[in-house]
Amino acid sequence: MRTILITSILLLSFPITNLYSQDLFVKSDLQGLKLKIGETFEPETYAENLKGERLSCPYTFYYNKQGVFSRAKAISYDRNKGEIKANAPGNHEVVAVCLGLDDQRLSRTFEVEVGYAMVKEITISVPKDNYVSTYLDLSFDVVDEQGFERDGQKLNLTSSSEILSIDNTNNVKAIASGTAKLTAELDGVSATVEIKVSENPLSKIEITSNQEVARTGDVVRYTATGFDSSGNEIKNLPFEYTFYGKSFDVSESAAGTILNDGRFVAEEPGNYSISATLGDITSSKPLRVVARDIKREVYRVGNTVVPDKRTSDFWIFEGVDGRDYAVTGTHSADGTAFFWDVTDPTNMKKIDSIKVDARTVNDVKVSQDGTIAIISREGASNRKNGIFILDVTNPYDVKVLSEYTKNLNGGVHNLFIDNDHAYVLGTGERYYILNIEDPTNPVEVGMFEVGSEGQNIHDVWIEDGIAYSSNWRDGVYLVDVGNGIAGGSPSNPVPFSNYTYASGANHAAFPFRSKSTGTFYVVLCDEIFPEGVNLTEPEITAGFCHFVDFTDLDNPVEVAKFEVPGTGSHNLWVDEDVLYVAMYGGGVRVVDISGELVGDLFRQDREIGYTMTGSPNGFIKNATMSWGAQVYKGYVFYSDMYSGLGVAKVSEDKPDTSNENQYIERTGIPD
Amino acid sequence: MIRIILFLVFTTFGFSQNYYLYVAAESDDTVSLIKFDGKSATELERIPVGIKFAETEGPHGLTVDPSGEYWYLSLAHGNPYGTLTKFSTQTNTEIATTELGYFPATMEISSLTGLLYCVNFKLYGTMTPSSVSVVDPQTMTEITKIPTGVMPHGSRISPDGRFQYSVAMMSGELYEVDTVSLEVNRVLQLDNNHHMNHQGMNHQDMDHQGMNHQEMHHSTTQPTWVIPHPSDSKVYIAGNSSNEIIEVDTDSWEIINRFKTGKGPYNIDITSDGKKLVTTLKGEGKTEIKNLKTGKSKIVDNTTKVSHGVVISPDNKYAFVTVEGIGGEPGVLDVIDIGKAKLVSSVKIGKQAGGIAFWKLEQ
Repeated sequence: MRTILITSILLLSFPITNLYSQDLFVKSDLQGLKLKIGETFEPETYAENLKGERLSCPYTFYYNKQGVFSRAKAISYDRNKGEIKANAPGNHEVVAVCLGLDDQRLSRTFEVEVGYAMVKEITISVPKDNYVSTYLDLSFDVVDEQGFERDGQKLNLTSSSEILSIDNTNNVKAIASGTAKLTAELDGVSATVEIKVSENPLSKIEITSNQEVARTGDVVRYTATGFDSSGNEIKNLPFEYTFYGKSFDVSESAAGTILNDGRFVAEEPGNYSISATLGDITSSKPLRVVARDIKREVYRVGNTVVPDKRTSDFWIFEGVDGRDYAVTGTHSADGTAFFWDVTDPTNMKKIDSIKVDARTVNDVKVSQDGTIAIISREGASNRKNGIFILDVTNPYDVKVLSEYTKNLNGGVHNLFIDNDHAYVLGTGERYYILNIEDPTNPVEVGMFEVGSEGQNIHDVWIEDGIAYSSNWRDGVYLVDVGNGIAGGSPSNPVPFSNYTYASGANHAAFPFRSKSTGTFYVVLCDEIFPEGVNLTEPEITAGFCHFVDFTDLDNPVEVAKFEVPGTGSHNLWVDEDVLYVAMYGGGVRVVDISGELVGDLFRQDREIGYTMTGSPNGFIKNATMSWGAQVYKGYVFYSDMYSGLGVAKVSEDKPDTSNENQYIERTGIPD
Repeated sequence: MIRIILFLVFTTFGFSQNYYLYVAAESDDTVSLIKFDGKSATELERIPVGIKFAETEGPHGLTVDPSGEYWYLSLAHGNPYGTLTKFSTQTNTEIATTELGYFPATMEISSLTGLLYCVNFKLYGTMTPSSVSVVDPQTMTEITKIPTGVMPHGSRISPDGRFQYSVAMMSGELYEVDTVSLEVNRVLQLDNNHHMNHQGMNHQDMDHQGMNHQEMHHSTTQPTWVIPHPSDSKVYIAGNSSNEIIEVDTDSWEIINRFKTGKGPYNIDITSDGKKLVTTLKGEGKTEIKNLKTGKSKIVDNTTKVSHGVVISPDNKYAFVTVEGIGGEPGVLDVIDIGKAKLVSSVKIGKQAGGIAFWKLEQ
């Protein structure tokens, strides 16, 4: 208290007007400071004028320029002790602030170097079998005395024998058979391993495949078998697979993806050669790749333009009367949800609307039996957002059954209905599970949250008693809410699998089991607006859909992606091994996802077709901003932020390409 | 004759005054630059401030730094934390952004420390104590979070820059933070009855899970704003639920007065001479102008419903009031002549007009 009092007196004794006409600069013994891990330092900071006169700062404090979040723990400042503490190695920026000498506070940033602790241990991992004329697949782990890993530091590698060749970037090649000791050294600490190099036992490699001719996007499996000079097969050899290719079209380049296990997928029609190599022995096999030839005409069947509001999500459902209906939300508008009779997709009719105290009705969902709809609410004038539960037994006369706001004041962005339960996102932190058996009196029975610092959820989808929540940087969470796989239920949601990826942009998820392969995937689509928001022009979007193989729930593997250059992904639907994904400005894309999936599906020409969903009468005329797609009774329904609700059909007909690339033969198998 | 000449000179060459303000539209993710020329207000520019087009980030708090070179905006929603963004007043383009806490709301910069103090309103699920984020606007670094009460709001700095005041809406407290030591200096309970009072509370809407009912105090006042007097040792607080203005003596740190107001007083500003207090009445769509000397009030109807923010021009002539509207209604900036207690101009902006900051007065 005494310190604060003195500080106050000192501060208040300096008028706000500038007593010091000369410029002042912050000086500190933080300049050039080097600390060791765990070391503390009480800095001394002062101001200096142009004459070199030193002026004491009435009050000084410091902070890590990285801020207060977990990323800023590398160096910390204890205000009570007035000292900084080095917690992690590296170069850190510390800001010194000097108060009370001028009409504005003075500050300066200093770089403080925190040195690494001494290296404690180096570990070298070596493959069991190493052969002449191969590069060795080595890995090095360096840990210091503080437990920090040293990444990216070049080790001093030496070999006791000339059978190993070490280049300038520490690639180690076996050049002769024998035994050598490889030593890795850093800061005086070293580790040595003995490496045995064998003569290449092979005299030949035979390479086989499951296909001689493939389409772009087909995953061809190659198997290499090695034989010694006696013709005996040698197993478990570390073959290296590579490919070479020449495109049929001289304007294109042969391209594809080849994996370590011998799987290859081509992106461009052409002649390819896939090789398996071990040391100096190699063998190749040709592969002819032809066009996938799955393009189909996607034509628009109908469109109901909402010209004065942005449209958000939608849901198509069969009513209790057997007719087909749709509900659509509105975004940044007036809290309206529209109901449509879509029994005749060529002549969809607006039949009712509900307007609630909100600006955005972002999500709309309907129960499986077509009796209950729930709409989400954001921007309520009383800041109690939540949801509205609606009776849609007669979609021509929709009635509000109840309003529910508990824990949902901050706004509901997405929700899902499954078997008398609603899964409702509470302000992006978690989802609450409501029992809606009595829709006039929803009751909270469960809740799921990731539990991480800064947890944030965007969407949830339920299928077969499993909730798939998209959690931005925390990726997708698979939660048992009644499936039984992990003993969960709506009142006891149990997570059992998770997958994250680097962009942290997981926005929507859709699970599917491939009809053609039986593989279980979850498709995770990003949402990214790289240039922020534009008020009058179509938005720039980015991001793509990630295909994750969840066959092994403990080790899900991202195997493929669908990315359309120049536009980003949003909501999606999968039906009969076909992906329907709204790509915002890129329209609704229809993608063949049959067979095994590896690599870049767009570049493999797996896209069947697309439709641009804008309208000349839309909110922004002729602009496409596709929100989502839903396959229903053979039609592809979609919503577009600028044009409203639309419907398309994927034709059996191939598109007319007579006016494009008319001299290129891209299909068929040459004799 | 001289009078006629003077009249002609003044009417021909008389100085006009232009007032410039920034106003946030929380449901449209826009900020409008408004010019008021003494007669009518016009929207000069509508600046998009959202991050994701399909999400509503909710621009809430605004402030202009003492130099007038930059304006600062809090975006309530993020992934999950809200953000603070620094813009140039010359170009209205973004300069830098930093992440704060849950639902960063109102803020102000201390003229003493140069630091920005922004409350994290945390309008989310369970009601738990939140914080005041302290940001160095030069580096746009969040230096620290100072723990305060439940749903802190109304961050305002004392005239000498030494203290930051905020109120905790749901715990019914006034917080005084030392802007230098960055610690809570004093806390004052604002409710009449300090014991739990359940009157007027909708317990169906409240989440009692995880609450410590022995410690948790449900405010009957629900304060939403605090403003220090420009010269006296007093602060004024809007009791949003109790429909009153609470006057606190900062020397004795006690409540010295409670003035009844219209329904739902929300934001407050005070003239620089300390004579008049202007309060938005959120529940009525009105603005109340109170003469602190006489105690008399005048009420001005706002253009639409849900009155929100208020800022008074440095010359004390006008109060600029934001009105949210409901649903699809546009937000509105109302200009009120304080002396005449009369609405003199209105301009429509984006939906849910809320945060407001005065930029400059030009002759």
